[in-house]
Amino acid sequence: MNRGFRKATAVLATAVALCAVQPAEQASAISQDKLTLAFIPQENPEKLLDDISVIRDYLSEEMGMEVDGYVTLDHAAAVEALRNGTADISFMGALPYVLAHHHVNAQVVLAEVYRGSPTYRARVFVRRDSGITRLADLRGKSIAFADPISESGYLYPLDLFADAGFLTPGDDPKTFFSSVYFAGGYQQAIQAVANGYVDAAGASQFAELLLTPEQLLEVTSIAESDLIPSHAVIARGDLDPSVVAAFKRAMLKLNQDDYRHLLQYVYGPDGYIEIDHTAFAGVEALAREYGYLQE
Amino acid sequence: MSSRAPTAPLATTHGRRRLAVLAIIVLGALFLLPLTGRSHIIREEPWHPVPAAYLRSLFYLKLQPVDWALVRAEYESVREGGSQLDSVYDGIALAAELHGTDHAAAIRDAIAAQDAESLSVSATRAVSQLVRLHLRRALAKLDTPGAALEEVHQASRMYRAFDRFVRATDSQGARELGRAWLELTTTVGTAGVGRRGSRAADRERFAGAVETVEGYLTANYESDGGPSMTGFDPVPVAGRASMTSVAPWLPPASDLNDQDPLPRLVLNFEERGVDEKDLFLVTYGDMLFDSPEVFGEPARSLGLTCSTCHNRSDINRRFFIPGISTRPGNVDVDGHYFNPRFNDRRADALDIPSLRGLRFTAPYGRDGRFASLPDFTRNVVVNEFAGEEPTPLMLDALVAYLLEFDWLPAPYLQPDGRLNDAASDSARRGEALFNRPFEGMGDRACSTCHVASNNFLDGQRHDIGTGDRSSPGARDTFFDTPTLIGVAHTAPYFHDGAVATLAEVVDWFNTQFHLGLEDGQRADLTTYLETAGEGVDPYEVFDEDNTPFQLFWGELSTFASTLSTLIPARDAEHADLMLRTVATDLRLDASALEDLSQAPKVFELADCLDDIRAAINANDWDRAARLYTEYQALEVAYGPDFR
Repeated sequence: MNRGFRKATAVLATAVALCAVQPAEQASAISQDKLTLAFIPQENPEKLLDDISVIRDYLSEEMGMEVDGYVTLDHAAAVEALRNGTADISFMGALPYVLAHHHVNAQVVLAEVYRGSPTYRARVFVRRDSGITRLADLRGKSIAFADPISESGYLYPLDLFADAGFLTPGDDPKTFFSSVYFAGGYQQAIQAVANGYVDAAGASQFAELLLTPEQLLEVTSIAESDLIPSHAVIARGDLDPSVVAAFKRAMLKLNQDDYRHLLQYVYGPDGYIEIDHTAFAGVEALAREYGYLQE
Repeated sequence: MSSRAPTAPLATTHGRRRLAVLAIIVLGALFLLPLTGRSHIIREEPWHPVPAAYLRSLFYLKLQPVDWALVRAEYESVREGGSQLDSVYDGIALAAELHGTDHAAAIRDAIAAQDAESLSVSATRAVSQLVRLHLRRALAKLDTPGAALEEVHQASRMYRAFDRFVRATDSQGARELGRAWLELTTTVGTAGVGRRGSRAADRERFAGAVETVEGYLTANYESDGGPSMTGFDPVPVAGRASMTSVAPWLPPASDLNDQDPLPRLVLNFEERGVDEKDLFLVTYGDMLFDSPEVFGEPARSLGLTCSTCHNRSDINRRFFIPGISTRPGNVDVDGHYFNPRFNDRRADALDIPSLRGLRFTAPYGRDGRFASLPDFTRNVVVNEFAGEEPTPLMLDALVAYLLEFDWLPAPYLQPDGRLNDAASDSARRGEALFNRPFEGMGDRACSTCHVASNNFLDGQRHDIGTGDRSSPGARDTFFDTPTLIGVAHTAPYFHDGAVATLAEVVDWFNTQFHLGLEDGQRADLTTYLETAGEGVDPYEVFDEDNTPFQLFWGELSTFASTLSTLIPARDAEHADLMLRTVATDLRLDASALEDLSQAPKVFELADCLDDIRAAINANDWDRAARLYTEYQALEVAYGPDFR
C-alpha cells in the first residue's frame, strides 16, 4: 500500500469510528468490587494526587463501587500495571495506547475531545524571523520533539519529513537534522523554539496555545500532519465488560453541564466520546513503519 | 459596543491575555516558563511550592513596609495545592543533602531578624542547590529511566524560579542552559512501552549537561557575591553586566484573568439601539478603559487596564496578587507596588466594586471620598496607577463611557424598588423584614440606608462596624452605602470582601445588631437579597456565533473607527494612543482565535494600523487617510471569517 493511500484509509477509518460509535452497553451486575486507575504524571505528580482524589470520589459515587487511583512513573509502568492487573484503567496518547494494545491487549474505551473534536494534528513550528519557510530549510538544523513515545510530539511530525522525501521511516533522524532533542512535552518543545534554543519543534497543534501572546507573534508553523485520534482512556483487555460499561457511562456524564467542572481533574479535556480500536489504524500503521511494532 | 474583557497579564511584558473564558485553555502563569512536565494536549504546569514561595517572598520584600508575617507564612505553610509537604521549609531542608547547609534555619533566622538581604541570599542558594541536588539524583538513577526523568523534572521545577531572570539578562547563558535542559530530557532515556520505543540513557551526555547547569548555578546563584538582588529580582551574576532591567513581574498565584463566566456588559446606548461608532467620545473612553497606556509603570508593562478589575463594568472576583490582595477580588490600590509616591503604608485592600449603574451611585470610592466622577477617575489613573495626567479629552471620554454603564435588568423589582408579583413568598417575607425597624439598629431598618426607591442607596456614609478603627474612639471607618441592585452576582461583600455570601451578610447583621432573627427569617431575608439583587442574563454566553475573539475583534474594530474623527481633526496625540492600544491588542488577542491559521490576517490588520500611526507621526495626514481606507477594506474582507 502506498503511503498516501495508507494515510487516506487511516483517516477514513478514524472518521467512521468516531461517527459510528455505539451507545454504552447497559451494565449488568458488576462482578468486580473495585476499580483502579493508573495516572501518568503529565504534570506535577503531587498536584495529580489531589486531582485523583476528586475524580476517584466521583467515579466511586457514580459506579457504586470502590475506586482507587495512583500515579505511575511513566507509560511503561502504567502499561505494566494493566498487564499484571494492579490497574484497570489508564489515560494516554494514541501511540502509547497502540503499543499497549499490542503489548498487553489494552483496549481503548473513550477519546478526549478538545475544541469540539476528538482528533487533532501535529505541526512543525519555527520562529517567524528564522527565514525557514519549508521543511527542506530544516536540513542540518536542530529540532525538538516532545517525547519519543508521542504521536503528535514525535511520530507524526517526523513522518512529515519522510513524506517530503527527506527521511526514510525508521532511519536515524540525524541523517537530516543536526540535532534532535526530546524536550519532555509539547510546551517545552515549542518553548525551545520560541526561546531560540532550537530551529524547529514538532508538537501538537495545541502547543501554540501554550505560548504567551508575545511568543505567538514570533512562532509559526510550516507543516501540518494528517488527523490524529485524540488522547485516549484505555482499559486492560480482560476487564469485566459490565465494569467497562459502567465506567464509560460515568465518564460520559462528565460531558453534561452539571458535571463538566470535573473534567479539569482528568487532564482537562472538553469532554469524552466513545471510540474503538479501528480509529487507531493510522497510528498503528505508522508505528509499524517506524519500527515501534515488529509484527 | 461592549468593553473588551480585561486582560490577564501574569507578568509577561505586555502579557495581556483574554483566554480565561476558554475553560480548557490554561495559559495562566506562563511568566516563568517551566521546563518541566509532560504536557497533556492543553495543560499548563502548576508551580512547585518551593520556587513559588521563594518568588513570592522576594516580591513581598519589594513592598514597603514589608509584611514579615506574610513572608513567614510563605515558608511555614504550603499554598500550592497537591503538595505532600507540610511546609516550604520541609522542601528547602532537602537541599542540605547536597552540602550539609541548613538553609531552612538560615531562612528562619533571617525572617526573625527581618533581614531582607540575608533572606534573599539564603533562599536563593537553597533553590539553586535543590536544582543541583535533583540533577545529581537523576544521574544516580539513570539505570531507571522513569525515575531519573522524574528527578530531572523536579530539578527543572526548581529552576523555573530563575529562568525568567536568566533569559531577561543573560541571553548567552539562557541559550546554554536551555540546550542543557534539552540534553537532559533527551539523554535520560525512556523505558518505552513494553520495551517498544525504549531508549537507553546516554550517561556521558547527560553528565555533561548536568555539569553545565550546575556550573552556571554555582557561579551565578551561589557565589559569594550572590545574585543581584536590586529590587529583589534574582538576576544571575552574568546578567548584571547586561544593564537590562527586568520587566515587572508578578509572583506565582497571581491571577489577573477574566472572571469566568464573563460578566455581560450592559451599556445604555446599546440598549437604546445607538451604534457606538456614532459616539466618538464614548468609543474613545471605551478604548481607554481597556488600554494599559493610560497607566504608568509597572501597571502598563503588566498590561493592567481599568477593565482588568472592573471586568466589563462589573467585577473580577478572580483578581489576586499575593501581597497586594488579601483574597481573590480585592486589591490595595494605594500600596507601594503600583505607585510608591501614593503609598499610604497601610494594608487596606478593598473589594473591587462593580461599576454598573455608576451614574446613579455617587459619591465614589468605598468611603465616598470623591463626590465627582472625573475626580475619582483621575485619582485612579494618576495616583493609584502612576499614569500621566490625562488630557481633558481623555478624562471626558473615560467619564462619558463610565456614565453608560447600566445595571443588569432586575427581573423581580418594580420601578419603585418593591418586589413584583414574580417574587417568591419567601422573598416577600424577607422584604417585610428588610423594611422592619429593629431595636438593635436604633429603630432603623435595612431599608433606611438601602432606600429601595433610590436604587437601594442613600448617598451617605455609615460606620456599621466592618472597619478597623485606628483607635477606640476614632471615627475613621465610615463607608459608602452600596446598592443592592445586581448584588446576587457581586460576591464577596463588604468594603474589603470579607464575607463570601449573602447568607453570611445576613448572619453578620443578625449578630452585630442583635436582630434576633430565627433561622427561617434569616433564610427569608437572604432570599429577598438574592431576589432583589438578581440580574437578567448576568454572563456572556459564547457559542459558534459569539466567540471570544469575535467579541474582542468587534470592540477593537470599533475603537479603530475613532480614526474617522481623529484624522480629519489632525489629532495626532490621541490617534497615536489609540493606535498603539489597538494594534498591540489585536496581535495579543490573536491567541483567542479558534482557528489560529487566521492569525496572519489579524497581524496584517495590526501592521496596517502601525503604518497609519507612522504616517500620522510623520505628519503625513493624506497618507494616513489613504491607509485608513485600505484598513477599512481589510476589515470588510477579513472580519466575517474571524472566529
